[in-house]
Amino acid sequence: MPLPHHRANITYPQNAGRAQGFECPFKDCGMEHSTADCSIDVTLNKMVEVVKVQMAHSASNSANIPLRLDERLNMRNLIDTSIDVMPRSRVLHGSRIVSAFTMADMGELDYSSELSFTPLDPDLEETIKSLDVALAGDLREIIRGECECQVCYGLMVDPLTTACGHTFCRKCVARVLDHSTLCPACRRPLPMRPGATTEPSNKRMSHAIEGLLTDELAARIVAVEQEETLHEDGWMPLFPCTLAYPAMPTFLHIFEPRYRLMIRRVLESGSRKFGIIMYNARGVPQGSLGRSVFMQYGTVLHISRIEVLPDGRSILETHGLYRFRALESSMLDGYIIGRIQRIDDMPLAEEEAAEALETRGPVPVGDNHEARISHMSTQALLQYNLDFVARARTRSERWLHDSMLTAYGQPPTDPAIFPYWFASILPIAEDEKYLLLPTTSVRERLKMTARWIRVLEEARCARIRVMRLARPLELEVDEDEASQQDDDDSTVSTAEPETPEAAETADAQPATANSPQAFPSDQSQQQQ
Amino acid sequence: MALPKRIIKETERLMSEPVPGISAVPHEDNLRYFDVTIDGPASSPYEGGKFRAELFLPDDYPMTPPKIRFLTKIYHPNIDKLGRICLDVLKSNWSPALQIRTILLSIQALLGAPNPDDPLANDVAQRWKENEPAAIQTAREWTKTHAMA
Repeated sequence: MPLPHHRANITYPQNAGRAQGFECPFKDCGMEHSTADCSIDVTLNKMVEVVKVQMAHSASNSANIPLRLDERLNMRNLIDTSIDVMPRSRVLHGSRIVSAFTMADMGELDYSSELSFTPLDPDLEETIKSLDVALAGDLREIIRGECECQVCYGLMVDPLTTACGHTFCRKCVARVLDHSTLCPACRRPLPMRPGATTEPSNKRMSHAIEGLLTDELAARIVAVEQEETLHEDGWMPLFPCTLAYPAMPTFLHIFEPRYRLMIRRVLESGSRKFGIIMYNARGVPQGSLGRSVFMQYGTVLHISRIEVLPDGRSILETHGLYRFRALESSMLDGYIIGRIQRIDDMPLAEEEAAEALETRGPVPVGDNHEARISHMSTQALLQYNLDFVARARTRSERWLHDSMLTAYGQPPTDPAIFPYWFASILPIAEDEKYLLLPTTSVRERLKMTARWIRVLEEARCARIRVMRLARPLELEVDEDEASQQDDDDSTVSTAEPETPEAAETADAQPATANSPQAFPSDQSQQQQ
Repeated sequence: MALPKRIIKETERLMSEPVPGISAVPHEDNLRYFDVTIDGPASSPYEGGKFRAELFLPDDYPMTPPKIRFLTKIYHPNIDKLGRICLDVLKSNWSPALQIRTILLSIQALLGAPNPDDPLANDVAQRWKENEPAAIQTAREWTKTHAMA
C-alpha cells in the first residue's frame, strides 16, 4: 500500500478514514483515493481460499502423475522488457489444472503466459484428461457457492463490492440503500449514493462469473430484466398533487376513482410505488415533455401505510424514495403514466473534489453572502442551516410548530437529507422548493437552503425595523408589507400561508375529520 | 405477485437442512406465512416446552424484517401478552443478510437469556429484577401449563 496523506478541505461525508487518501499505484488510474474506500475483498478472498483447499485435495489424489510444464511467454503483455525474461519449465505432479495452479502458486508463472503440457508417461494421457474434467466441474461448483448474493440468494448480477469489502448484486445494493445506509453483511456505513449507480463493478468477480458460470448468468440476467419490466423504472404511474422529497413522509388523501384504481394497482403489483409531481401552474416548458400540465421532476413514493375508508377513499402514509425526471408521459385508464429516469447525486469523489476546490482559497472579505457560503465547508454549511433552525426554535417560529416536528422529525444531521427536511417545513414558495429536486450535489443543496435563510433573515430584520419605527405611532404593520421592503435581490418569496393554523382552516376537508388520530399532523396531509 | 426466488430458496433450505429444535413450515395457500415451533433451550426455565409462533414475510422482505409473534403463552420479560417480541434484529438492527433461520435462532437465544433491562412486558421484567428465582419459577410453571401439550 502506498503511504496515506491527509486530504485537505473535505468535510463530507464524515465516515472514518475519508480524511486520509493516497495516490493510486496503478498506472492507468493514478487518481487520489480515500483510504476508507479500500479494504480486503472478502468474497474474492473466500473464493481463493476454497479453490486452494480444493487444489490441495486434488493434488494429493494425483501425486503420482508427473507432468512437464513449459511456459510460453506472451511478449505483447510483458510490461517490463528491460529484464531478460526466460520461459520457465518445470516437472510437477498432478493433472493439468493442479500442476498449473502449483506453478502459479510458486510464483513461477507470469499472469499472461500460456502453458504447454507433456505427460512424462504417455499412457496417463487419458487419466489426466478425466481428472481435469472432474476437477473443472468441482471448481465450478464451489466457486458458484461463493458467487451467491446474500440479499437475493441468486447468482450475483453485476457484482458491486462495498468499501467494507462485501459483494452483492448492484441492484440489491440499490434496494438496500432505499432502506438503510448500512452494509447488510457487517452493518458498517456504506459511503455510497442512493441508487449505487456510480460505483465500479468488481471486475475480477465479474470475469469469474462470466467465464465459469456463463449459462447461469445469462439466465439470471433474463430473469432480472423480466422482474424489472414487471415492477418499475421505465413506466411509472404519476400522481399530480404536491411537492415531496426523498426520506420525508407525505400524507395523501385519495378520493378520485381514477387514482383509487392507480393506488390499487401499485398495491396489487407489490411495488407499492408511484411518482408524485407538481402541477405546472405557469405552463413553463418541461424538457422533453414540452409544456406539460405537470413539472418534469418528481419523487417516487413508497406506500408505507394505507387506510381504506368504507366508501373506497383512502388515506396514505408514504415515504419518499428517490427523485426522478419524467422523459415522456401517457395516459392509462384516466391517470398519468410516465417513463422516468432516476436522479442520483454525483459520485462522492466529485462531491469531495468540489468541496476541496471551493474552500481552498482565502476566506472572502466583505459582505458578499454568496462568496461566503461558497467558501464554507460542507459541514459548516450544514451547521449554518442547523443554527438557523435552532434560532427559529428559540423564537418559537410558527413554522416550527410541534405538529411539524412530529410529522417530519427533528432536523436530520445527514447533510444529504437536511435540505429535504428543511424544505418540507419551511413556509416559502413551492417554485423555490422545487429547485431542490434536480440537484445532484449535496453541497449545492445546502447552499440553496443557506440562500433561503439569508432572504428570510433579511426580511425579518426589515420587519423588526419597521415595527420599531411604527411603535411610537401605534401603527399595525402588515407582515407582508414589511417583507416587501426588502425585495431587492430576493429570490425567495416568503410568507405563504402555510403555517399549521392557516393550513388547518384552509384544509377543513372530511378526510382529516375521519381519521385525525391516524396521522401526527393534519397540516401535512395533502389534499388531492 | 410471484414469490421472490430468495423466499423459495430459504424455504427449501429450511426443509432440507432443518435447525435442531426449530421448525418453520409455510402454509400451502400462503407461502409467506409460516407455522413456527421453537423448543425451549436446555437449562432455561423454558426447557422441555414447545413454543408455537407465527411468522410472516412482508412484501418487501428481505428489505424489511419478518413479522413474528408467539402464539403459545410465555412468561418472559421481552415478550408481551400478545406474543410480540422485543428483539433488536427484528426492528432497527434488521439486515437483509439475516434470514428466517438466523432470526429464529436469535429468538431461541433470547429465551435462554432474558433481558429485563429492555423490557416489553413491564410487569414480568419488574418481577424478574426484584425476585428472579420466583420469576423463573413462574416461567417454568407457564411452560408446563401452556407449552407441554
